[in-house]
Amino acid sequence: MRVRPFDEVAEGDEIDPQAFRHDKDHVRAYARASDIYFPRFTDDEGARREGLPGMITPGNMSMGLVASYLERWAGPGTLRRLGTTFRGLLLPDRTIRICGVVTQRDDASRSVEVDVWIENDDAERAVIGTATLALG
Amino acid sequence: MPLDIDPSILGREFDRAEHEPVTADALISFAIALGETYPCYIQAGPELIAHPTYCVRFKGRKFFPDTLPETLRFQMSFDAGKDIALGVPIRPGDVITIVSTLHEVYEKTGRTGSMVFVVVRFTMTNQRRETVAVVDNRFMYKGLQA
Repeated sequence: MRVRPFDEVAEGDEIDPQAFRHDKDHVRAYARASDIYFPRFTDDEGARREGLPGMITPGNMSMGLVASYLERWAGPGTLRRLGTTFRGLLLPDRTIRICGVVTQRDDASRSVEVDVWIENDDAERAVIGTATLALG
Repeated sequence: MPLDIDPSILGREFDRAEHEPVTADALISFAIALGETYPCYIQAGPELIAHPTYCVRFKGRKFFPDTLPETLRFQMSFDAGKDIALGVPIRPGDVITIVSTLHEVYEKTGRTGSMVFVVVRFTMTNQRRETVAVVDNRFMYKGLQA
């Protein structure tokens, strides 16, 4: 499994965005695998009873999607730190887009800092974050 | 309503929970639910390790210390975000212990008014006392003052 070489990365490099249809079954599968059974993560009616517009994506799942996106670029086992802020609701059955950019390189640790975010289909950043990745 | 936080409650352990051993099936189903394809996250065997965010599945027995003011403990909060610092990977058979501390309480003023943030830190270790992750859970309360 290839780890991206540190010497091939420069500050300002953009990570190829990943856009995909984020559907309700995807969210339900995550909720089951995480043992979280709040209605807001499994059905629209239950979510509306909680005052939400419909089913929402767990913040932890957003984090997981971001982590997978970053390691798809850097290689497995490279993530050292991930900080995320949940700014808005990430609703399923929509297309989402995960994006990232390298903001800093550290020669001593051969690691990079990255800004990362998830956009919904209105191009609003529902999740923003920063991460540290150790490269090869 | 102003909050009166006793600084001595910060950093003090208020909960400790030991979880059942991690299973390979749980690691694999979690990673697959995130669309993972790397074999180290989805194939059973000696190389299997947890997806980096698997650690957020673990919870303590109680989420807030009893010493936190009631205005916070019993008011609805929002999950504002998390910070994870990763240690050694989690593997099948690991027994994870979580120590919970109240890490920080602070106020911010945003477009919608003042907000109070409560940060609960989970320090997670395995049965060899190696740190697998430190997770800061940030909860936001609207309409309060620290």
